[in-house]
Amino acid sequence: MLTKMSVFKRSFIVLVLSLSCLLMAATVFAAPLRVAVVETLSGSQASTGLLYRSAVRYGIDKINAQGGWNGGSIQLLEYDNQGGVAGASEKVKAAIADGAQIIFQGASSAVGGQVTEDIRKYNLRNPGKEVLYMNVGAEAMELTGSKAHFHMFRISPNAEIRIGAVIEAMKENGNLGERVYSMNQNYSWGMDVEKTILDKSASLGYEVVGKTLHDVNKIQDFSPYVAKIKAVNANTVITGNWSNDLLLLMKAANDAGLQVRFGTAFLDQPGNLANAGDTALGHFIAHDFSLESTGDEGAAFGEDYKKKMGHYPSYVEPHTVMGIGLLGEALKNVADEDGKMNINKLVLAMEKATYHTPLGEISIRIEDHQVLLPMVVSEVSKDVKYKMDGTDLGYKPIKIMTAEEAAAPVQAATKIVRID
Amino acid sequence: MEYFTISLLNGTVYGLLLFMVSAGLTLIFGMMGVLNFAHTSFYMLGAYFAYTLQKYISFWPSIILATVLAGGGGIVVERYFLRRVHRYGHAHELLLTFGLSYIIAELIKLFYGNYPTNYRVPESLHFSAFQIFGTDYPVYRLLMGGISLGMFLLVYLLLSRTRVGIVVRSAIYRPRMAEALGHNVPLVFMGVFGVGAALAGLAGAVAGAFYTTNPNMALELGVIVFVVVVVGGLGSLEGAMLASLIIGLSSSFAVGIDLSLVDLFAFFGAGEWAQGLGGLMELKVSSLSATIPFALMLIILLVRPSGLLGEKG
Repeated sequence: MLTKMSVFKRSFIVLVLSLSCLLMAATVFAAPLRVAVVETLSGSQASTGLLYRSAVRYGIDKINAQGGWNGGSIQLLEYDNQGGVAGASEKVKAAIADGAQIIFQGASSAVGGQVTEDIRKYNLRNPGKEVLYMNVGAEAMELTGSKAHFHMFRISPNAEIRIGAVIEAMKENGNLGERVYSMNQNYSWGMDVEKTILDKSASLGYEVVGKTLHDVNKIQDFSPYVAKIKAVNANTVITGNWSNDLLLLMKAANDAGLQVRFGTAFLDQPGNLANAGDTALGHFIAHDFSLESTGDEGAAFGEDYKKKMGHYPSYVEPHTVMGIGLLGEALKNVADEDGKMNINKLVLAMEKATYHTPLGEISIRIEDHQVLLPMVVSEVSKDVKYKMDGTDLGYKPIKIMTAEEAAAPVQAATKIVRID
Repeated sequence: MEYFTISLLNGTVYGLLLFMVSAGLTLIFGMMGVLNFAHTSFYMLGAYFAYTLQKYISFWPSIILATVLAGGGGIVVERYFLRRVHRYGHAHELLLTFGLSYIIAELIKLFYGNYPTNYRVPESLHFSAFQIFGTDYPVYRLLMGGISLGMFLLVYLLLSRTRVGIVVRSAIYRPRMAEALGHNVPLVFMGVFGVGAALAGLAGAVAGAFYTTNPNMALELGVIVFVVVVVGGLGSLEGAMLASLIIGLSSSFAVGIDLSLVDLFAFFGAGEWAQGLGGLMELKVSSLSATIPFALMLIILLVRPSGLLGEKG
């Protein structure tokens, strides 16, 4: 009995070994392009990270459905950075060691700052083995400013684009009022939003009557902050807050019976409308896609995304998918070198690529590697076709801006050392 | 005056909410010596129970039932988990509850998803109690404060004025002697843990509707309730009340103070010099609002390690 077992075992091992030899031989002939998502996939901030993951997966699947790259499918690897800077640094190393040549990351500008520096340094030390950082959502200005480098593209809007769009549209629509309050989180993103609000005040003719930077995701009770807004008699609150910091702020304002409008950047995060309910009614958001205003093409994208990922694209998903579409266009124009990808060539191809989205064309600005993309400013309303979050509310567009209109100027600190 | 009154009101109610959550923790911590890291998980469970029940029964019954369910959960945890590791000491109990808090959070995500739920204050309670300086004051905030005060009175009277209270206190102070006198000490421990969990559950069920019910709500309060318990003194109910109010009021008042060290130096005529230094000098008190409780804890630990009203030195 024993000997029979071991014979069986041995033949099984032989089979496995020969199979793996075959597989290894196959990989030598056509090395597939490997890309990696390094995101927060577990823990308290996982909800956003998981959305990035599904958007990246959707985008890569789409490229693969059209033939992938160099005759093979692109392999998508996933790494959990557990929400922290240290974890992200660790996982970027792991991803590169596993052969990933493109790294996607988006949640938190703090993490983005670490990832972009890690990759910049790795590329300096390893010429010929460059890695590309696709920033899918870290929106702090410095990432395309003082920290910009050749191997980084930001395919999401940034603080200036988003907040500029929402203020401008509210102004045009007559909803901004004269007195604006800036309420933001105390880190790079919130500070950038505050700066944008202050910078735009002269040209758009409003007064910033108060500004507050508060701790991030630590405050349960926003009523003291609402009292502050009330004390200066503001008409409008412009905020870059996300998640609980946005929900609690809006609810506290509503409970106090405060007659202010909110101009936000991230109101379309899933769960927000469900939780806020009618409290969100009449507030504004700047986002980069809207199912309401993009006709059949947008609807087709929305329905296809829902079929594959289980929900309509919102929040960080649309620009991630579109940005990967842009990457797909660039990949078409990059030939392999001995079966391998040359990332420097890919960067140059990305700079030239354009991609058609339901809202209009998107492209990369060569000077700072910031994507130029159209923006939509919407009002939360019941008069919509697509109801979100299981409520009777949705986002009704009030202004659509072309990529040129929405763009923010290149920052003075931007200096990209080119490798042509 | 307006600023003072509104901050006083807001801070008091927030402090009372903190007391609701930390009352159970201080009982368990002080009386059983169990460092219960899963305490705010019961707060979260209470909110989710109430949210689920609300679809079938009305608001108040679902709050009461959620409280009972959270207490039941606490009893199960004490009887079948904590009791087994009790003899291995504090470290094991701490690790057990720490792990438990993760499991509860993941279970919640599994059943309810990663996003905030639509648990809201019912329309019938969504109105303003009175107007103060042109601002509405929501009646629900007053209700939360009232429930918290009621809870404090009830638990305080239970412990200090009834036979049950005497047995509980003796079982905790001299467990062997109480046992020798014929009292069932394990049952007392189970009861204390169950009541502690139920109090947290009640707080969650009530506050979950007003703030947000999401899978991170345990984490959001997790640290601050430990601060309350340490500042107030381990096991002291009155201490927890005092500490909650201090923390609630100080963070509420701090928000409105837009002063920095620069202004302090300006008072002595060195304002421009301080302005030139920048950095820490320009940090406003208002942006430190959520950090003040931790600074307070540090001072208390240095000056009076047993807490404001703690007994053990």
